[in-house]
Amino acid sequence: MGRDRTWLLLLPALGLLALLFLGPLAWFLARTLFVETAPAEVPALFVDVLTARSMQVAALTTLWVSVLVTLATLVIGYPIAFYLANRRGWRAALVVFCVIVPYFTSVIVRTYALTVVLGRSGLINELLGASGLVGAPLALLYNIFAIVVGMAYVLLPYMVLTLYATMKAIDPSLLRAGRALGASPLYLFRRVYFPLSVPGVVSGSLIVLILALGFFITPALIGGPGDVTVAMLIERAVEILIDWPSAAVMSVVLLTATLILFAIYARVTDLRRMMGA
Amino acid sequence: MPKLSTTPTRRSLVIGGTALLAMPAVITNPARAATQLRVRTPGGSFDEIKRRTVYEPFLKETGIEIVPVPSTVGKLLAMYKAGQVEIDCIDTGNDANLMLEEAGALVPIDYGAFRYTKLEDIDPSLKLPYQVGSFVYAFVLCYRTDVFKPGSEPKSWAEFWDTQAFPGPRTLAGIESGAPNLEIALLADGVAMDKVYPVDIERALKSMGRIKPSVPKFWDTGALSAQMMADKEAVLGVLWNTRAQASIDGGAPLGIQWNQNQVLVQSYAIPKGAKAPEAALKFIDYSISEDVQKRWLAEYKAIPVNTKVYPHTSKLLLDPATGTPWTVSKGFKNDINWWSANRTKVSRAWSNWVL
Amino acid sequence: MIGRGATVPGAVGLARPHERAAASISAPAGKALELQGLTKIYGSETVVDRFDTRIQAGEFFSLLGPSGSGKTTTLMMVAGFAAIDAGRLLVDGVDLAAVPPERRGFGMVFQNYAIFPHMDMFENVAFPLRARGMPKALVRERVAAALDLVQLGHLSDRYARQLSGGQQQRVAIARAIVFQPPVVLMDEPLGALDKNLRYDLQVEIKEIQRRLGMTVLYVTHDQEEAMNLSDRVAIMSRGRVEQIGAPRDVYERPANAFTARFLGEANLLPGAVVTSCPGRVAFQLRDGTVLHADDPSTRTAGTEGELFVRPEKLTLHPLADPPRDGVNRLSGTVRRASFLGSVVRYAVETGSGALVTADAPNVAAHHHPELGERVALAWSPADTVILPPDAA
Repeated sequence: MGRDRTWLLLLPALGLLALLFLGPLAWFLARTLFVETAPAEVPALFVDVLTARSMQVAALTTLWVSVLVTLATLVIGYPIAFYLANRRGWRAALVVFCVIVPYFTSVIVRTYALTVVLGRSGLINELLGASGLVGAPLALLYNIFAIVVGMAYVLLPYMVLTLYATMKAIDPSLLRAGRALGASPLYLFRRVYFPLSVPGVVSGSLIVLILALGFFITPALIGGPGDVTVAMLIERAVEILIDWPSAAVMSVVLLTATLILFAIYARVTDLRRMMGA
Repeated sequence: MPKLSTTPTRRSLVIGGTALLAMPAVITNPARAATQLRVRTPGGSFDEIKRRTVYEPFLKETGIEIVPVPSTVGKLLAMYKAGQVEIDCIDTGNDANLMLEEAGALVPIDYGAFRYTKLEDIDPSLKLPYQVGSFVYAFVLCYRTDVFKPGSEPKSWAEFWDTQAFPGPRTLAGIESGAPNLEIALLADGVAMDKVYPVDIERALKSMGRIKPSVPKFWDTGALSAQMMADKEAVLGVLWNTRAQASIDGGAPLGIQWNQNQVLVQSYAIPKGAKAPEAALKFIDYSISEDVQKRWLAEYKAIPVNTKVYPHTSKLLLDPATGTPWTVSKGFKNDINWWSANRTKVSRAWSNWVL
Repeated sequence: MIGRGATVPGAVGLARPHERAAASISAPAGKALELQGLTKIYGSETVVDRFDTRIQAGEFFSLLGPSGSGKTTTLMMVAGFAAIDAGRLLVDGVDLAAVPPERRGFGMVFQNYAIFPHMDMFENVAFPLRARGMPKALVRERVAAALDLVQLGHLSDRYARQLSGGQQQRVAIARAIVFQPPVVLMDEPLGALDKNLRYDLQVEIKEIQRRLGMTVLYVTHDQEEAMNLSDRVAIMSRGRVEQIGAPRDVYERPANAFTARFLGEANLLPGAVVTSCPGRVAFQLRDGTVLHADDPSTRTAGTEGELFVRPEKLTLHPLADPPRDGVNRLSGTVRRASFLGSVVRYAVETGSGALVTADAPNVAAHHHPELGERVALAWSPADTVILPPDAA
């Protein structure tokens, strides 16, 4: 057998990635951590940044928000993916459309659109007020709830598409077999369908978690005063404090967390299988 | 404007964003026509007015075309560090220009080369070695006129802090804007305008803590401050008067109270490594000259740096009692040097306070 | 014995696994299944047209036909996965039309095995029992017995990916019978297996069915499989039942040209009835040759039709051999000879120009003519059937 050289097909993509992402990242980290900071000071810098209360709280906030977003996309996305995987026709097409189209809209636009819905004089509060259900407007905006809603909205397609791919691959004859053998629809879901969709649940959750960790726009725009994520701290260090070494340290931390999760993800989804090897 | 950008378009996932800051290091720019001058500007309606009143006449006068370019302090600094400066002139807040100056990223202003502007017309406090003022504006007390009838609005920051007498949500500048309203918190706590600096950070935040329950969000961009007021997410706010006025001109039911305003400065600077520093200097010279400031600031409601233009300043910006701009009669000056020295300290204190 | 199969309570140590299994799965007699005018319509197309039959308790009944003949749709209506558009479906006299699949209580085996990939074989077989809330101890006993029955007790802790197709299908069979269903439905269960394995499993399925007295409704497009397994076969074509009968009957005495052709090689020679007296029909081919068929029915002289005879019924003789009385005879020229192993298949061009196929057993005693040789073909009227003209 000759050597497999199909990887050569990835060269353009790898080149682009190196040029646009890895190169600048390496430049930024090398410059801030090795040129502008004396080598002896780097460990102290790490300790300084990592022990700062703001960083620790931001890390917890980031993780907490990401987990909530993951759960929210899972709870909302699972039934949608289930519907799509088991239905055809214009209704399914419409649902796909509704899930995918926001994906092509700028995140900023979508997040601003949410302020119109969630604001004090936004759609929901107007409706609640008009119906007399609540006296004063509910605080739906500028808090963790808003962040989770906004991020879940943006990240939902990743969850739905990942789940959909897994569910679509579930052999329908297994479900027929299950029913024919006496399983009620609920029992069948619990014992057969859900267990078979678990790989999708795990992959989808990891993807959403990974993306959520680096989210900046949504928490910055519709989060409350105390809802500061690591990404926001990095932005503040770069743009406002001009403290690039600290930004570099925080970026390294966030990147490491992301890479660890990605390694788990790669394990779970088995990249080789994904690439058809 | 403490923060360079007034729009959130710069925002992106931060890991990628941080990496992209370094882009100029990798991509070299092709040669440009000598008749173009790339100016960092805040963009938006700011540019629209300035194009009509400054850029186009400047093109006619000198043959130099102004190309507005969005950028942030971080990006400008990255350009400088990478040795790939894509910008010839910076039009931003004087605090941001001070950061760049301290990073060594600016060249001195050659006032001797000015042709359009009589130097003695310019407020001396705004003629600095590395930057020169472009216009003056202020943090003002902004209120919804449908909630507080003009005349019954809070008249001081102490009253702004009084959530019993003046109920409703508020918004103030937060740390993400670059400079939270610590000075105003001190004024609310009874500190006199001339005793604000050096800021007692602890006292300021303590004072800020008293109003925090009424603040759903501290604003980070001027756009957000105006939007919160327009959407009634806040009925009282500390806003830039220029932003507030733009909203009022656009029909929003807002009013401005000038008592105890904090005076801010927009300024020009030329980055080290600029491809056309002479043209940049010519543009700066031109745009603060008497005629140009008159024409421009008749439309854009800000206070000129050219004292000759004061009489022509929009009446909205003048104190009828003194005939001078409100910034002169009722304001106190923002101290960018204090901020430059203390920003990191403020950030840490803020982070601990906000949680 | 390895694994959970070893824990069957009361198992006799020396007994062979399948004997023990048969003892443990008490064999309740299967139930009768009645299809009354069962009909399925998709749009303007009738995919199953008034299927009528009564499948006896303990009977092995096959639906045989080419793809698109409606056999699988019929099975799906019985299983409950396709709605019944007209007609009735009765089990021991009870109408099942409104009963959902999981409540019909049928066992079911699929072509692609449909083994749950996330469960080991024990759990797969236990599935129908657990779905019915059976106590754990009883589940263990039943599953072990069922796996023993298909001789896979030692693989109970394996997963589907560790098993061959044949092993998976045996587990699927164990899973379909473990809860002692009154009727087992099998949808081309051997379709994905290779030929030798298919035959072995046919034997095994038949053995289990007989031992447990199960009623089986079996779908296949393989006529040998259907004939090997079934007590009765229904031959379907384009939604219609062409013929129902015991394998030998439908093979030897097809009701029409479709059945004749579908079940194997068939010679069909067009012509018309000359005379008919009870038990014997004289039939004239287009070239004037008159042949005879044993036929219990009386036919009107002049009726057009086709004379049917299977190739293996024909014997080849040198043209010089004298004709014998009471035997049909045609002469012709050998145009083709195909060596098929156990037989040699000859194509003989007769006087009318029609090609007649004749299979000669591959034994030395038999006459094996050369290509181009003139030969005589002889066969008994008892092996001859007169069919109505081919409508197709």
